[in-house]
Amino acid sequence: MRGLMRSKKNGRLAAATGVVVAITTVAAFSVAGAQAGSARSSAGEISGAGATFPAPLIAVWQQRYEAAKGVKVNYNAIGSGGGIAAITQKTVDFGASDAPLTSDQFGSCNGCVQLPWVLSATSVMYNMPLKNTLRMTGPILADIYLGKIKNWNDRRIKSINPGVSIPDQNITVVYRSDGSGTTYNFTSYLNTVSREWKSKVGKGTTVNWPTGVGARGSSGVSGVISRTEGAIGYADIAYALKNHLKFFAMKNRAGRFTRPGLVGIRAASQADRKFSPTNELSIVNPPPGKRFLKAYPICTYSYVLLRTQSQKAALLKPFVTWALTTGQQYGPNLVFQPVPAYVVARGKATLKKVHS
Amino acid sequence: MVTLAAALSGLVLLILIARELLTAAWPAMDRFGLDFLTTKAWDPNKKLFGAATFIFGTAVTSFGALLLATPISIAIALFLTELAPRGVRGAVGILVDMLAAIPSVVLGLWGILVLGPFIVHTLAPALHGTLGFLPIFSTEPSVGSNVFAAILVLTIMIVPIISSICRELFLGVPQELKDGALALGATRWEVVRGVVFPYARAGIAAALILGLGRAVGEAIAVTQVIGNNVAIHWSLFESGDTLASRIASQYIGADTNLQIQSLVYLAVILLVFSLVANVLAQIIVRRVAGRHKPA
Amino acid sequence: MSASAAPDLFRSERIRRRRAVNRLVELLATAAALLAVAVLAIVVGSVAKRGAGALNWDFFTKTPDFAALPGQPTGAANAIVGTLVIVGLAVLMALPVGILSAIYLNELAPRRVANVLTLALDVLNGIPAIVLGIFVFVLVVNGHGQAAWKASFALAILMLPLVARATQEVLALVPNSFREASLALGAAKWRTTLSVVLPQTLGGIVTGATLATARIAGETAPLLFTSSLAGNAISHDPREPLSSLPLFIFTSAEQADPKLHEQAWAAALVLIGFVLVASLIARAFAARSRQRLTGER
Repeated sequence: MRGLMRSKKNGRLAAATGVVVAITTVAAFSVAGAQAGSARSSAGEISGAGATFPAPLIAVWQQRYEAAKGVKVNYNAIGSGGGIAAITQKTVDFGASDAPLTSDQFGSCNGCVQLPWVLSATSVMYNMPLKNTLRMTGPILADIYLGKIKNWNDRRIKSINPGVSIPDQNITVVYRSDGSGTTYNFTSYLNTVSREWKSKVGKGTTVNWPTGVGARGSSGVSGVISRTEGAIGYADIAYALKNHLKFFAMKNRAGRFTRPGLVGIRAASQADRKFSPTNELSIVNPPPGKRFLKAYPICTYSYVLLRTQSQKAALLKPFVTWALTTGQQYGPNLVFQPVPAYVVARGKATLKKVHS
Repeated sequence: MVTLAAALSGLVLLILIARELLTAAWPAMDRFGLDFLTTKAWDPNKKLFGAATFIFGTAVTSFGALLLATPISIAIALFLTELAPRGVRGAVGILVDMLAAIPSVVLGLWGILVLGPFIVHTLAPALHGTLGFLPIFSTEPSVGSNVFAAILVLTIMIVPIISSICRELFLGVPQELKDGALALGATRWEVVRGVVFPYARAGIAAALILGLGRAVGEAIAVTQVIGNNVAIHWSLFESGDTLASRIASQYIGADTNLQIQSLVYLAVILLVFSLVANVLAQIIVRRVAGRHKPA
Repeated sequence: MSASAAPDLFRSERIRRRRAVNRLVELLATAAALLAVAVLAIVVGSVAKRGAGALNWDFFTKTPDFAALPGQPTGAANAIVGTLVIVGLAVLMALPVGILSAIYLNELAPRRVANVLTLALDVLNGIPAIVLGIFVFVLVVNGHGQAAWKASFALAILMLPLVARATQEVLALVPNSFREASLALGAAKWRTTLSVVLPQTLGGIVTGATLATARIAGETAPLLFTSSLAGNAISHDPREPLSSLPLFIFTSAEQADPKLHEQAWAAALVLIGFVLVASLIARAFAARSRQRLTGER
């Protein structure tokens, strides 16, 4: 009997000891972590979140900048909408968005500035077992996204792709379900080529899509397209290349079919050299003319969002300056066109407004 | 006293939750009023938001899951309490409980990468081919993200919940009642139908309500497999969206105040529903427990 | 019924039909149970099969890298550490409050008060995790920043009713004779609770806490709002947002890169492994401790 009591008591003792040990371990671990954390952040760490569009280039910047200056840059690609929300809610040190802030958003952000720091193109990707690159025009694309054209062998698609035998295949429209600057870029383009789109849907980081399937992030869209035959979707050209997805040659206003590449982006960037008061530049669907013969019609700048008053100002300003200058050389490999000199100048001038 | 403070925490949290959510949603509630519940659009550009499509999606997915889960859960509970040989009961019981332990994000992962392709390549063509005249199977899916996948995933989630509550209920039926029926020559099934079910009727209702509540509130697994499409379709093979799933997919990227407030309005609707469902279930459970307590 | 009744009764149509229906129902019930087991096998099997391949040393020691070149090893070390910190802190927050609540509700509260507060806890249990996530966001994250401890706070709210209820159940199992004997010897109520009742329930509390921990370790929704903007480096600083296994699975599952899918399966395997093992241990412990407790009667 006494042995039984002792074993019961030992059992209880063991359980209690176990619990106490576990609790102390957790507490100690967290405190140690907090100390390590504060030690680390004095060496320099900035966190950012936002667009998936520039994420491939920012990932390279993270590596290069830490190697060069020892400052760690964290970046979470949660979409432009997320970047705008995060900088407004003060959950990050910098945001990134392909969609420029509206005046309402500037109001909510209360003390934010934006400046373009990355320049690239949105590719319209598709999954079809055809060897040649297909051609596409804006109005047809708009009708596809409006749900008016539902099959690949539609007369209109065939007419701009003579000589290509397009099979009977349902079109699956894919769009970004999260708040996306790429959506903003894509819908801005559709606005300029389709009056029906402009009145029915409009442009924005999130819109009321008439048809299709949503996916999260440029990666998500690429994923759905690669898994679904007959799918069409849009994402930064870097994602199409990374995932070996085909993309259309889009007809520009000069009448040429151009592909998203450095040449096309460089030509398109000339469409707008005049900054708005908030540093906005819109280069979607450049006008016809000799200068824009080679322009790709769905290009965009991407912006970095900063608070004018930030504790991390001393770390942020050198980083953004570096990104605007040294960082641009890592772009072309990923089809990011280095930003023009006037963009760099404007960026540096805007940075002067940021202080701690 | 310390313990009183601790015990009050539950009530305090409930009140805080209600207050914070209502405050955060108030501008949208004020602007849209109850029309929010019947507006089908979700258009940040036109500043028009409405919950109708998500209420529809939540209803279809949750009731669809409940429809599938109810017979299965009750059958499992019967198996484990009345019909199975003793040795098997323990093992199978543990296995069914393990189903409840699978995190919803893992079910969602499986849903995206395994169930989705299976639906697209095998299940949907079969259902569409044979039962395609029914509106719910009237289209063929091109992607694995659709309402049907969400229903299946939710069913897997709520079966263990309903079945474990039913198991407790069936075990609680007084043996004398069952013995009496058996003595009168009833078969096992007739004992179940004539004694166990009537006795446990209210408890089963509570179990179903709790299961429904779980299905309504599930955000992660649903948002992974449902396709996030704002539209009302009759076909289950189209993409859709539910209240919880829309919040999960859009809240992080909501970049205008009105959109954020509208999303919190969706959360308020969810909160109201879960409060009502839970209180109802708890009242039933307490009344049943009181009635069936031995004198 | 004894078989000495007239043979007619045994072989009549009605009896045969009723027996057939009975048989059918037994078959259907068995089929349902087998279906559940089959689904479990399929899901866990998928995770095990696809995850085991990617479960290597790199997975546990390396961190994610968006710009990783093909061939460069990446892993989920930061997510694993982050989950340990977040879940650990959540337990630290919820356990004392849950236990103390249960003590009050079971031992010290007047009947009416206990009913109301218990109802509140049960209702809290049914609130969807995503609603709790928004609540914590609005309360402490908006305007201030994400942090691992805020994620722990959200998970603690989820845990609280589970721990309280489990503790209440074990407290109720302690025979009243123990309490009466202690009170008869002149001990105060709190002394009785602390020295006589509580030690009996330790096993049950550990069980309940383990089950609750296993439940919240897999929760994703609250983490979305409180700890989703985490860095790639391994950190255990609770004041920053930390990566976590559930969010790692959530984001990796939607990517296009098949390598990330493999890592998602591996992370799912780790998560399921922990959750299932913890549940099994807790249940075994509970069965033994309940036997011991009720055996004392």
